[in-house]
Amino acid sequence: MSDELQLIDKAKAGSVTAFTELVRRYQDRLLRFLLTRSASYADAEDALQDTFINAFRYIDSYDPRWRFSTWIYRIALRNAARLHTPATVELDDIADDSNDPLTECIVASDRENLWLSARRLLSDELYTAMWLRYAEDMSIRDVASVLDRSTSWTKVNLMRGRRALDAELNRSAARESEAYG
Amino acid sequence: MDEVARILREDAANIDASVSPELERRVRASLENVSPMPQQRPRPRRPSLTLWWASSLTGIAVAAIVIVAIRPDSATVDTPPQVAAIEPLVVPDLKTETAMLTAPLERELENLEADLRKAEQAVRRDFGLEP
Repeated sequence: MSDELQLIDKAKAGSVTAFTELVRRYQDRLLRFLLTRSASYADAEDALQDTFINAFRYIDSYDPRWRFSTWIYRIALRNAARLHTPATVELDDIADDSNDPLTECIVASDRENLWLSARRLLSDELYTAMWLRYAEDMSIRDVASVLDRSTSWTKVNLMRGRRALDAELNRSAARESEAYG
Repeated sequence: MDEVARILREDAANIDASVSPELERRVRASLENVSPMPQQRPRPRRPSLTLWWASSLTGIAVAAIVIVAIRPDSATVDTPPQVAAIEPLVVPDLKTETAMLTAPLERELENLEADLRKAEQAVRRDFGLEP
């Protein structure tokens, strides 16, 4: 973490090399996060590029009291929200799209990836909360900070999300047992 | 519930996405053309000099008005307040009235004293103190 703060200080002083090191650390995680919310791979890549450009431009406003990951995910979330223009499809519609970038990136498995179910069943905000908590292993406080919500709201909604997905897993299991007798 | 969290973690790991070298070069090139913007820090607010002068002058003016308005005039203080002359009241002669009002009480007192004397004489007779 202190190494990260040193890089941030250098980046604040204008060092592109230091900021590029930060980019290298976060780029794959952020791309994965943006892919789950984009209509195409190209959109996710554009959003990622914009996220890093904005982060570098406004690095001076970063407050070290907060985690850098929390700060950069907030920027990414804002950029992802800009993808939701009439020119692109809404998050709810992506699940049915055969060109869904998330579907393309999922490693083949004998069952449906639970994140696809989550995107179909949960609201946009709850899906994001679940992603940050379980895919990014963020603390509840950090998830609340990224979403600009209270810790209680985050806790309650994460529980609701888990409950909904648990019910979906049970339904899938019941369907499978019916199909195979 | 924990099972759901475990599956979510596993399935997130099964999403294979990584930034291509082409995108890395693109991002790096973009960053070369950007420089961090100095944050607009709010300057400590000093009270406006004009406002300070205006409030001071207003305060002095109000104080002067109040002093002039409530300042006791020395001439009026020395002069005693004018009091209307009071005519002497005519006091009625209450002696007769007092005697008339207390007369029944005096008679009552005399009767009680007479009763007391009679009782005393009776007691003396009973004890053989008086022939």
